Amino acid sequence: MLGLIVVTAFLVYFLIWASINAQLQAVKNGTIPTPAEGTAGLTETLRQIAPDRVAQFGVGIVSGLGSVMLIVFAASHVGTEFGWGTFRTLLAHGASRSGFLVAKTVSLVLYAFVFIVVGTLAAIGASYAVSAVAGISFGTGVDVAEVTRAAAKSGYTFLPYMALALAIAVWSKSAGAGIAAGLVVYFAEGLVATILVSLNKDYAQIVNWGLSRSASALTRGGGAAAAQDPTASTLPDPTRAAIVLGVYCVIFLVLAYWRLRSRDVTVGG
Amino acid sequence: MLRPVTVQPHEVVLRTKGLVKRFGSITAVDGLDLNVRRGEVVGLLGPNGAGKSTTIGMVLGLITPTAGTAEVLGRDVSARREEALAGVGAMLEVTSFYPYLSGRDNLAAIAILRGGGALARVDPLLARLGLAQRGGSKFRTYSLGMRQRLGIASTLLGDPALVILDEPANGLDPAGQREIRELIRELAGEDRGVLLASHLLHEVEQVCDRVMVIKKGKLIASGTLAEVTRGASYFEIVVDDKRRAAEILRGLDITEIRETPTGLDVVADPKRGAEINRALASSGLYASAIVPRASSLEDVFMELTEPESPSASPAS
Repeated sequence: MLGLIVVTAFLVYFLIWASINAQLQAVKNGTIPTPAEGTAGLTETLRQIAPDRVAQFGVGIVSGLGSVMLIVFAASHVGTEFGWGTFRTLLAHGASRSGFLVAKTVSLVLYAFVFIVVGTLAAIGASYAVSAVAGISFGTGVDVAEVTRAAAKSGYTFLPYMALALAIAVWSKSAGAGIAAGLVVYFAEGLVATILVSLNKDYAQIVNWGLSRSASALTRGGGAAAAQDPTASTLPDPTRAAIVLGVYCVIFLVLAYWRLRSRDVTVGG
Repeated sequence: MLRPVTVQPHEVVLRTKGLVKRFGSITAVDGLDLNVRRGEVVGLLGPNGAGKSTTIGMVLGLITPTAGTAEVLGRDVSARREEALAGVGAMLEVTSFYPYLSGRDNLAAIAILRGGGALARVDPLLARLGLAQRGGSKFRTYSLGMRQRLGIASTLLGDPALVILDEPANGLDPAGQREIRELIRELAGEDRGVLLASHLLHEVEQVCDRVMVIKKGKLIASGTLAEVTRGASYFEIVVDDKRRAAEILRGLDITEIRETPTGLDVVADPKRGAEINRALASSGLYASAIVPRASSLEDVFMELTEPESPSASPAS
């Protein structure tokens, strides 16, 4: 999975450059008509590849892909223990249920940390590499502090989704159920929230207590990205969002722990 | 061959009192009292669904009892589970390890969990169970017999006082089954208590000092093998006039009489052979043979656990 995010980062950067560059060349050659707004938009998109934009663009790629990949990982990390029957084996050899859950949780957090670090480094590397190939200015270079802050926030937003996937995997004793439910919540909740707020901004008071809006509030920096999003102004306060995400983590883990403690473990988990 | 019976005041390593487990309206285990002492092998027998695995699950703290207690080395499993299981090595009916790890690594993982020098026992146990050559192979490549051996090896990592084996000979060839029998006797010889749940009754006969037979969650028979099978001794009587012979035997207060193709099988104390012979002869009925028979454990098991039905004497 770590290798996958590295490859993906380079691939995304390269594909974006290749695609935008091809469009610009086609406009220059007259193969396709010049867009009404000119080529400024394409040029600006190409600028996202530059190292001084890694905090927004590069970390954003890692965050988006990472959420999906880590939901899958979290559900599998726990669910397979039931599928293989190894949870029962570990308990029979004296492991405690709480110890098992703590170990799984700690390892997931560590993995998420490693994932965001590796992914961010890959994004930085890809940015420099593709910018060099494309002849794009490095600008002021990577702002390490800004990238670190962005990566930390993104990494933090992984955690409640992973906790949710873990909890569902524990309740259902199935990695598949954890993956499916985790991904449905990740995609559907965000979509529903966006639609509702688009229809009526008053809905923001409700959906802002959800996962997706809280995660967006935490990771959405200022600048161009926020300005382009009509719902950005209704996002909750980032501090409140961080607390809400933390509370969700606790709730999901408590639910998982309660189920694990109360269940009789028979053949099949 | 039956083991000689020895009764010594060994320490009780496992004791259950009034163990009950209900799953909704189904009572899987109903007031079970059992105990296992150091140095003895106790067989836990019962048909499918009798409650053997549920009992083992409660002893290991995998299943919460509805009522009753299970104590290992004097420690209540419900209250002090991890402490109690420190002295237990258990192999469950379905052997499960991590498929992507080697046999050695799987044992090492459990050994780390156990602590206390268990890691140093990994390779010796692999050798003892005949897995030294395949210790580095992934678990998913193991045959069923190899998986069973690895499971048995895992039970001994913590140097336990109580070993619980649920169907350990599943999937093993006759040579493997013999090795397991010898291993079980070795474990008892090492002053460990062994609780053996098995369907292989001839195996139980060869290794167990005591047996406990459960049916529908209740203990229906317990004791040494001799004690459990004694009540099932009978006489095979070869005689032509079965009806008249049955009437004569009922006059001796012998009520369990079964008709056979050659005569009658009658349940009676082995000492009554001469009495039966005299009664028949004095009535002018001469049997070709009056042979005392002892039921095997399988015979007793089948009789104890068969579904209940109205009894009838076919020779009436």
